[in-house]
Amino acid sequence: MSAPGSLTASDNAASSDAARFDAVVVGAGPAGSAAALVLARRGHRVCLLERGPYPGSKNMYGGVVYPRILDELLPGWWEEAPVQRWVTRRATMMLTADQALTVDFRSEAWGQPPYNGATALRPDFDAWLAAKAVDAGALLVTSTTATGLLRDGPGGTVGGVTTDRPGGDLRARVVVACDGVNSFLAKEAGLYGKPDPANYTLGAKEVLALPAATIEDRFALGPGQGADFEIIGCTGDIAGGGFLYTNRDSLAVGVVLHLPALAAAGVRPEQLIAGLKAHPAVAPLVAGGELVEYSAHLIPEGGYDMMPTLTGPGMLVAGDAAAMCLAAGIWLEGVNFAIGSGMAAGESAAEALERGDVSEGGLSGYERRLRDGFVLQDHRRLRHAPHLLLSDRVQRRYPQLACDIVEDLFTVTNPEPKPGIGRLVRRRVASSGVRLRHLAADSWRALRTFG
Amino acid sequence: MIPASAPVPVSFEDRMATVDFRVAADAHITVDGDACRGCSTRACVTACPANLFVPMADGGILFNYEQCFECGTCYLVCDTAGAITWRYPEGGHGVAFRRS
Amino acid sequence: MTVPAAPGPAPAAAPGPVLACRQWADRRADVDPLTGTVTSDPRSAAASPADDAALECALRMATAWGTHVVAVTVGPPGSEAVLREALAAGAERAVRVDAPEPGDAASVAAAIAGVAGMVGARAVLCGDMGWGRGSGAVPALVAAVLDARQALGLVDLATDPEQPGVVTGWRRLDGGRRQHLRAAAPFVASVEGGVALLRRAPLAGVLGAGQATIEVVAPAGTCPVPSWTPSSTGPGRPRTHVVDGPDPDDPVRRRVELLTGLTAERPARRVVRAEPVDAAHQLIAALADWGEWS
Repeated sequence: MSAPGSLTASDNAASSDAARFDAVVVGAGPAGSAAALVLARRGHRVCLLERGPYPGSKNMYGGVVYPRILDELLPGWWEEAPVQRWVTRRATMMLTADQALTVDFRSEAWGQPPYNGATALRPDFDAWLAAKAVDAGALLVTSTTATGLLRDGPGGTVGGVTTDRPGGDLRARVVVACDGVNSFLAKEAGLYGKPDPANYTLGAKEVLALPAATIEDRFALGPGQGADFEIIGCTGDIAGGGFLYTNRDSLAVGVVLHLPALAAAGVRPEQLIAGLKAHPAVAPLVAGGELVEYSAHLIPEGGYDMMPTLTGPGMLVAGDAAAMCLAAGIWLEGVNFAIGSGMAAGESAAEALERGDVSEGGLSGYERRLRDGFVLQDHRRLRHAPHLLLSDRVQRRYPQLACDIVEDLFTVTNPEPKPGIGRLVRRRVASSGVRLRHLAADSWRALRTFG
Repeated sequence: MIPASAPVPVSFEDRMATVDFRVAADAHITVDGDACRGCSTRACVTACPANLFVPMADGGILFNYEQCFECGTCYLVCDTAGAITWRYPEGGHGVAFRRS
Repeated sequence: MTVPAAPGPAPAAAPGPVLACRQWADRRADVDPLTGTVTSDPRSAAASPADDAALECALRMATAWGTHVVAVTVGPPGSEAVLREALAAGAERAVRVDAPEPGDAASVAAAIAGVAGMVGARAVLCGDMGWGRGSGAVPALVAAVLDARQALGLVDLATDPEQPGVVTGWRRLDGGRRQHLRAAAPFVASVEGGVALLRRAPLAGVLGAGQATIEVVAPAGTCPVPSWTPSSTGPGRPRTHVVDGPDPDDPVRRRVELLTGLTAERPARRVVRAEPVDAAHQLIAALADWGEWS
């Protein structure tokens, strides 16, 4: 019997025409599929490489996507996108051990075209978007991991990727790295400095099955409508936050944890989820849900200041690989930034291919597009938000203070007369240990960051 | 009596059994035991969401790779240079989310 | 123990292509314990390790004999995924027998045998077990339809380039024994998952398999052996016997005898020689006599 896996000469000659592309897009997530879709539509030969058995199999997020970025690329996307529920209710909860202060907003407009946010499962959503790229002519290759860059062009220009298959060199004139938060390709290309754990958070979540009617009752939703709860003050000593989203017949409940704090705390992520689920304000919402999938993923939360160099010779970086995830407290968005940056990368790569110049200069349209659009404008404006939001005061002191003030406000202390609100606030601030100058400084920073 | 609304307790094994892992023949994580013996923080042990790292009596770390979420937390929280080497598992293998 | 599958292997003859059978089934199908409803997700569907081992054996066999591999599956369009894997790994041709719903072992066997006839394959390789937790009867039924020799449940399989069409292998027997088998084409062999690790498909194979044509044929042919259908798919319920206690007025000795059955008359021991079907009937009749079968 012949030896297994022995290679013949023809196996090694994979740099035949079949393995030569105009562009290789690494990662069939939202960024990669958007880039491949744009490139394929412009008539380029594109290989969309995915290491999972199907697009979305390696991907996990909290649960809400804002797909309006697709209006131009896929008009009428809402007719066919695999959406779980349209978010018509957004709430921000501040929790202490036994208090909860919730700001709760609903809009019927968000439940109608063109919609706003939607809950979706990534294995569904990503596979749908990848199928659009395939329909446009991209070649999707799954179960294949890119292991490195081929840098044999003039001046170290990237000329493709190596993969973990025998004879696995994929040649391309341009490589779009959409290989996710750990982006080994961007690191190999030297586009990142040394990774700093302070720039990352860990998201861990449980998907809990519940009947659709129960979800609609508990969250006061109409059929097909969804709720999005962002939660702070639920992660103990660890900076971060929590979330609770409604899918069609399941809930997504989880926590986001700042890595350095998680490392120092010695607490396990699933214990924090259990704590959140047991909080009196959350427990009735998730009661009886049966765990159907547990998952975890890193989030590049550092924003603008952690972004790598976005362009190298023959190479572009997009999506989480370029740290395009926006984690700015009230705004938690990622998929739309991934799609936006992927589209920009696709357009710029197509332009460079058409001009025959894939050097760093030839690809510079990418960064320009991002700076002219929402991707880098939002990120630059909110560049200080991650730092502010992960600070101890915002994480712990302010939720406690807010809850205490509101509790005092609504506690009827007869026969004592009601105190003045100003006095009440001053008293609570004084006893909270928060200094007024810190409060003022944080307010000023918040105003500068979000204003 | 447990009230009907009490959360159903789930063991860690049952928790991980909800996830589809297609285990590759080769480990995609390697841990340098010698480097770990000098480590006092051992952040990987509690931070790993899949609980893959187990402290040993001799100061080393026993690691599993079969139920890895491929998140990258371990190598980022590790402050001993070169102790944890981490790459992606062979294509088609590893975690395959279905409902996240 | 060496048992040549009678008659002895034929001298080297052109074995034709090697047919590798692959089943596409959900590895993690949910079965509702109350209703028995099966919910499956095509994304977690794949060929079983045994089917992968069979494909690897088929590829090595084809290399040794200077022939090629044809991959076959019986299933809906989604099942073409397992055929593309086979094409990527080195199979030359892939045939899907269109079957929107999972069929019973006999219909699957008839369909596979039909494809073996269509492509002229005289060597058929299957995994011995699928994800679907089925009866495992398909390989034997394929052999019955093709009137081919069987080498089933192999834990080791070898081919010799000097003897195309001849396969040798080991199978497990009860009590720690083993059996060495040797079969010449036409044969059907099934292998356990540990027999071989499917090679990693080369990149060129994967790129080509994405667009390769997969032949789709309608199920044809019948299986002469009816497939076994379970009479009940409910949970097993051990029966209880109601045993009346002895009369409390009896003497102690009598009561002990009654409770232990020490002196009770036992059914006579019978040794029976019979054809299998007749033997089964006699066994059932005896069990009914003893009150163990109703």
